[in-house]
Amino acid sequence: MIFRRSVKRLMFLSFLMLLSPIVGLSQSDSCNYSVRGTVLDVKTKKPIPYVNVVVRGANRGTVTDINGAYVIEGLCSKVNTVDVSGFGYSDSSSTSNTSQGETQNIYLEQKALKLKTVNVTGKLEKKKGTETISQIQMGQAELSIDPTRTLASAISEQQGVSFTSMGSNVQLPVIHGLYGNRVLVLNNGMKHGFQNWGTDHAPEVDIASASRITILKGAAGVRFGPEALGGAVIVESDPLNLRNPFNAQVGAGYQTNGRGYNSSLKLGQGFKKWSYFVNGSFTKIGDRETPDYVLTNSGKEENTFGAGLRFYSGNWDAKVYYSYVNQNLALLRSSIAHSGTALTQAINSEEPVIIRPFSYDIAEPNQLVQHHFAKAEVSWKNDKVGKLTMRAGRQINGRQEFDVRRNSELPIIDLELSTTDYQLDWKHKPWMGLDGLIGVQYFYQDNNNNPGTGTTPFIPNYNTDRYSAFLIESKTFGKNIIEAGVRMDFEINSVRGREVNQSIFRDEYDFANITTTVGYVRELSEKSSFRTNIGTAWRTPNMAELFSFGQHGFKTQFGLLRYYFNEEGEVRTDRVVPIAESEIEPEVGYKFINELEHKSGRNRHTLTAYSHYIENFIFNRPYAVISTIRGPMPVFIYDQADALFIGFDYSWNRSWTESISGTLGISYLWSTNMSKNEPLINQPPISADYRLTWNQGEFWWFTASKFTVKPRYTFQQFNAPREVPPEDLIDGTEIITNDSEIFDFKAAPDGYFLLDLTWQFELNRLSGSLSVNNLLNARYRDYLNEMRYFANEPGRNIMLNLRYRIGANQKGS
Amino acid sequence: MNTFFKLRNYALIALMASSVVLTSCGDDDDDDVPEPVNEVEVITDVKLIFTNSNDASDVVEARAQDPDGQGVQELAILDTINLDTSKTYILTYEIFNNLETPGEDIGAEILAEDDEHQIFFSFTDGAFSSPTGNGNFDNAADPINYNDLDDNNIEVGLNTTWTTPSTMTANGSFRARLQHQPGVKTATSTVNTGDTDFDLEFVINIQ
Repeated sequence: MIFRRSVKRLMFLSFLMLLSPIVGLSQSDSCNYSVRGTVLDVKTKKPIPYVNVVVRGANRGTVTDINGAYVIEGLCSKVNTVDVSGFGYSDSSSTSNTSQGETQNIYLEQKALKLKTVNVTGKLEKKKGTETISQIQMGQAELSIDPTRTLASAISEQQGVSFTSMGSNVQLPVIHGLYGNRVLVLNNGMKHGFQNWGTDHAPEVDIASASRITILKGAAGVRFGPEALGGAVIVESDPLNLRNPFNAQVGAGYQTNGRGYNSSLKLGQGFKKWSYFVNGSFTKIGDRETPDYVLTNSGKEENTFGAGLRFYSGNWDAKVYYSYVNQNLALLRSSIAHSGTALTQAINSEEPVIIRPFSYDIAEPNQLVQHHFAKAEVSWKNDKVGKLTMRAGRQINGRQEFDVRRNSELPIIDLELSTTDYQLDWKHKPWMGLDGLIGVQYFYQDNNNNPGTGTTPFIPNYNTDRYSAFLIESKTFGKNIIEAGVRMDFEINSVRGREVNQSIFRDEYDFANITTTVGYVRELSEKSSFRTNIGTAWRTPNMAELFSFGQHGFKTQFGLLRYYFNEEGEVRTDRVVPIAESEIEPEVGYKFINELEHKSGRNRHTLTAYSHYIENFIFNRPYAVISTIRGPMPVFIYDQADALFIGFDYSWNRSWTESISGTLGISYLWSTNMSKNEPLINQPPISADYRLTWNQGEFWWFTASKFTVKPRYTFQQFNAPREVPPEDLIDGTEIITNDSEIFDFKAAPDGYFLLDLTWQFELNRLSGSLSVNNLLNARYRDYLNEMRYFANEPGRNIMLNLRYRIGANQKGS
Repeated sequence: MNTFFKLRNYALIALMASSVVLTSCGDDDDDDVPEPVNEVEVITDVKLIFTNSNDASDVVEARAQDPDGQGVQELAILDTINLDTSKTYILTYEIFNNLETPGEDIGAEILAEDDEHQIFFSFTDGAFSSPTGNGNFDNAADPINYNDLDDNNIEVGLNTTWTTPSTMTANGSFRARLQHQPGVKTATSTVNTGDTDFDLEFVINIQ
């Protein structure tokens, strides 16, 4: 009976929708009109989540929830036009004449041209300059399944994206084989200013407070500057919508592996001329466990706080953001080996050398990080001129790292990095059919070592000044877009450090470069479209790549300027080579990326193929084992060579029924060192996954319910360097010279199969997810995790996360 | 009304300007150099000192040196241990970081943290009449004449006793390894527990 009634109601509502504009109830007062409804796919009639819905002229907008539903309240006019734009759909608009509560369904047609956003203030300019680059977006609903994840882990479910890590807490996004300084993390419009070197420093970004994450898979250097060589990860926080009734959300969660718990609070409100948000979160996770043993010292603790304020007045729009992240991240105790003998033992041991019972305690090795982020943004819009946006940002990143050593209470690394950014953009009004963005930027970083580490600084003190200017123009004709851009950067560096005997070394150097991008999007037919982009980008070697010296973690490392070969061809480390005397060049990358999308009936195929050539690619590799007073020690050096990356991402989406759909994804990458004709180290292996989603809509007493099953297979990295175990180097079985082929201390781990399950649900104001990662409790090691030398990955993890909404923005009546 | 809007625009410009000022204070290129540090981790020189227990002037020293500490230069074993037959020696150490001037005495630091450290030994089988055997690398319970105990009554090894037999040994091996075992040093911990601070193998002649 109930079922029949709801169907009737649905039919009735659809009928009303067809009769749009609907006659509304008379209203006397202003600003309490609202629009609400559901966004549906015109063909499948399925709801479309995470599309932008904006009220034209009111500067108010929202994003649809997992049921495609939206509500925008506090509107001042009775007749409203909403513009809807979604990922992979044509834009649509719809006009309604409503007062309160009427449902208005909007149908979107699937479209090959992705992400041509309309009318979303503050978002369009971010897309500008990247329209022809293959990209992916993730919304809050996807991110909230596990709010305690790292940024890298959250986005790694996407095709072509993976992560490299140092255990469960320190994870860096990898896009098409590139990571670290080659993937720009843009936090709220600013380059995240952190100690971005090595694989043991992850961006301190709290995904629980992110409202949207965009992953650009092409070289986006022109728009975002150096370091976007391999792509960019753009994290956006609350959009600070105006005329948004008070809304709050309280979240809490628990996970079985690591016995972790988290809680979060978000609240916000938008008035006619101003709006605000405040959020905070707390996470604590203890030692993770593999199916067989505890990963001793693998917990984390994290506190975050964020706030934003916006003033809006006619042509002016001003926003201020502040955020704070405080982390204490444990690294696996057994990853520390102070000698070749200990390393040999740690590598060859089936289980980690040190296993203690479960604990929440975090001991050495660990990292304490505090990141402050402050930003002010003012924009001015004028019909004749266009839009001018000025951004100023300041970030302070304090980092202390503790190693297992005699003086373990002293940090072995204690750095304070401050980053200052100024950006001025002009999005000019269309001129001769050209849409464009012109910008100038100034970027300044100051890195200082705090005294009291009892060890010679691993990274020197330095100052970097960078001046940049860019221009990006696009022209649309019919359904095709051409986009082109150019950028100039000039960077000045001043470095001061200490040698081990405490004598001072200094270096001053600068780099100048021009970066370009050309892209083209063409709709081949109703069913298929093609996009192509050639982008160049560059990157200066980072301080660790140039200057690192000595032991940290299990590695003894030498930066490019800290070693040289003497006349006998022997490696020497007794002086710092001035950069002017060295042959070091900045990395320059050329990325050619093509995407073909084809739809037919219930199927959608997307093939992204790319080739990426990087001159002077810098990488870290095992070099030798040298004898020291501690015994034989494994030595890693930074090296430079020309590298080529070729790969593709393929995805096939099919709607099996009205409510069940599946997506097959395959990522393939082949890479090589062109200079020496040998493999590169630490490159992502081939992976394939299938995501089967059963979107039930209303189910039982839940207002929404969605099941996802995701089997995933990751192959062994067949293209890994040969294995030379440390004991062979210690006993002289294998002799390494400068011309020797690249090697690794351990062979790439076997392929592995994982099965993940997720159930997302909504019960009026309560929403949440119950998910199981590694359901089969598989024992495996991940090639991109440096801990693979020492331990297995965590086993099964069951997570429950709940969120309760207070105030407006709830669905239903 | 117009004036009001203008004023507001000025206010926004002021806000914009103040944000610039706020974020740029005190940021001129500095020229700070990291402060000099007292290297507490690096060991460059280890000296083994065998003192005849009956004659304090009868001293045999053997040195090992890694002149560049963490650098790639190879370790050099500078001396051979030449002991007399049928004598009892007390073995002590001098452990220094000589990259600093004056050199840093790491031995004192190890003594202060003796509950986290233990020295293990391995030598040519039967080279000594006491301890017998080949040392406690292969089996931590094998005999070594430790003369020092930490607060937990576990052996340390900064002071050990060695008695040579009447038989001679030529070109034998004597290896000493200092293990750093924070939180994991127990009565049963072994040469493979924890991390190595030094691991030195000398040639030994007993004649």
